[in-house]
Amino acid sequence: MANSYFGNIKDAVTTIFEGLAVTASHLIRKPYTVQYPDRVPVRVQDTLPFRYRGILEVDLDICTGCLACERACPIDCIVIVVEKDKQTRQMLISQFDIDIAKCMYCGLCSEPCPTGAIHHTTEFEGADFSLESMIRRFVPEPIYAYKPSKGPETDPRIIPILNRGMRYVNEFAQPGGEKPAAEEA
Amino acid sequence: MSLRTEEMTLNMGPQHPSTHGVLRFVIKADGEVMREAIPDVGYLHRSIEKIAEKVGYHGFMPYTDRVDYVCAMFTNQGWGMACERLGGIEVPKRGEYCRVIAAEFNRIASHLLSVGTMGMDIGAMTPFTHAIREREMINDLIEELCGARLTFNYMRIGGVAWDLPPGWREKALAYLDHFDPIWEEYNALISYNKIYVERLANVGVINLQDAIDYNLVGPNLRGCGFKWDIRKDIPYSVYPEFDFEVPVGTGEFGTLGDAMDRYMVRIREMRESSKILRQALKQIPDGPVLAKVPRNFKPKAGECQVRVESARGDMGWYVVSDGSAYPWRVHVRTGSFAAMGMINKLSRGLMIADLVTLIASLDVIAPEIDR
Repeated sequence: MANSYFGNIKDAVTTIFEGLAVTASHLIRKPYTVQYPDRVPVRVQDTLPFRYRGILEVDLDICTGCLACERACPIDCIVIVVEKDKQTRQMLISQFDIDIAKCMYCGLCSEPCPTGAIHHTTEFEGADFSLESMIRRFVPEPIYAYKPSKGPETDPRIIPILNRGMRYVNEFAQPGGEKPAAEEA
Repeated sequence: MSLRTEEMTLNMGPQHPSTHGVLRFVIKADGEVMREAIPDVGYLHRSIEKIAEKVGYHGFMPYTDRVDYVCAMFTNQGWGMACERLGGIEVPKRGEYCRVIAAEFNRIASHLLSVGTMGMDIGAMTPFTHAIREREMINDLIEELCGARLTFNYMRIGGVAWDLPPGWREKALAYLDHFDPIWEEYNALISYNKIYVERLANVGVINLQDAIDYNLVGPNLRGCGFKWDIRKDIPYSVYPEFDFEVPVGTGEFGTLGDAMDRYMVRIREMRESSKILRQALKQIPDGPVLAKVPRNFKPKAGECQVRVESARGDMGWYVVSDGSAYPWRVHVRTGSFAAMGMINKLSRGLMIADLVTLIASLDVIAPEIDR
């Protein structure tokens, strides 16, 4: 009886000191805490991976107006109005709104986009005072939809935007693996 | 115990910090000893099953993240597998491996949160920060893989949405090399601490027959000493290709099936997950990760039930299709709900302070109870 009593005390003391030793060893280890937001060496947005699903953005210069994103969105937070211009017979985008207060950042919209026009940015600080300001309106005045040219793109203004868009699209897995695997084993 | 005082009715929750989300208990107590603790569920009911009938097969995938936000990979996988079985789609081998890798990382993260909050609930704050730090590193890995830290939406019907990024495999292996010593350190920090063991051992003892009667699953059932793991017993995905053990409770610290056993099962399962991950990262084949699935996915009329071993045990997905683009009925069977049903029985005669131990040891997650 007395034996187990003192044994218990010994057990308790040794196991507690084992735990304390672990805690003490952390005094000399590098701290893991990041003091967001005021004491970070680089902006957190710049350290996030390319696939990060932050607030959505649309490059209207390369938007084809195909409505694939609007159809894919499960909560209908994207509203696009496209009409055909009778004179020039081109598609005219007159409205492209994304309600980022409704958006759940699932990424289903940027997956079917053929040019990568709609994509997630690494921006995540979106707090504001009204719900109205959460609706991002990307079309100030109606513009013509992008028409992919046959062969390589020639407009020097479009090329970097399109390159970025296609890089975004290529991140997604292609059904049936038409694209070679990104990582060689 | 012969001396009885006036019965006191207490209300614990719904916003109690140690109830893991929004849970409420009506406690009838005699002094500090509970006569019963009636769980009141439904505070997090979000009609997720009904939403499935409105958004279609592809669109429901992000919603499955919300069924159990601590281990969303398994809910993703369950939904994906159910739809694949209905539509007769075969997932490419690399896709299955990607799924297993993501899911096992998620299992470690979920168990880390569980064992961390276990310490916090009984008053030890330090282990929580240690566990959360490790979980944060896994979150960083998963963020690089799929762009999100909690609601992953990583899997698609027919595979996964993103292949492993270049260099990710090395990072994952480096993390596992870092994790295994940390696991030992964590055990030294808290698991064998005498005070901690005293708080958990012999508390909330479940005998095996009760566990089966109340339909407990996962680590809660294995804590009673019964070897039942869907990954082994009804194999799915590529799990038969891996060599791993199923840890069960041994009653080494007290009675078989007490809170400590359930805790130790989770601790040991993390080690097994790490083992699976090493094998998976080594064996992963080349090839496509996503099968061809039409955007307008319409499976034939019929029904199916799939089971996945999530971090909280056997998770069942029952889907009925009527041949249209929307499922006719979806039902999710989750482990937390069954565990909640047993709390009333287990709480009789327990101290009020031990109720939080009991909840934490059953590892219930509020949205998974209500969906």
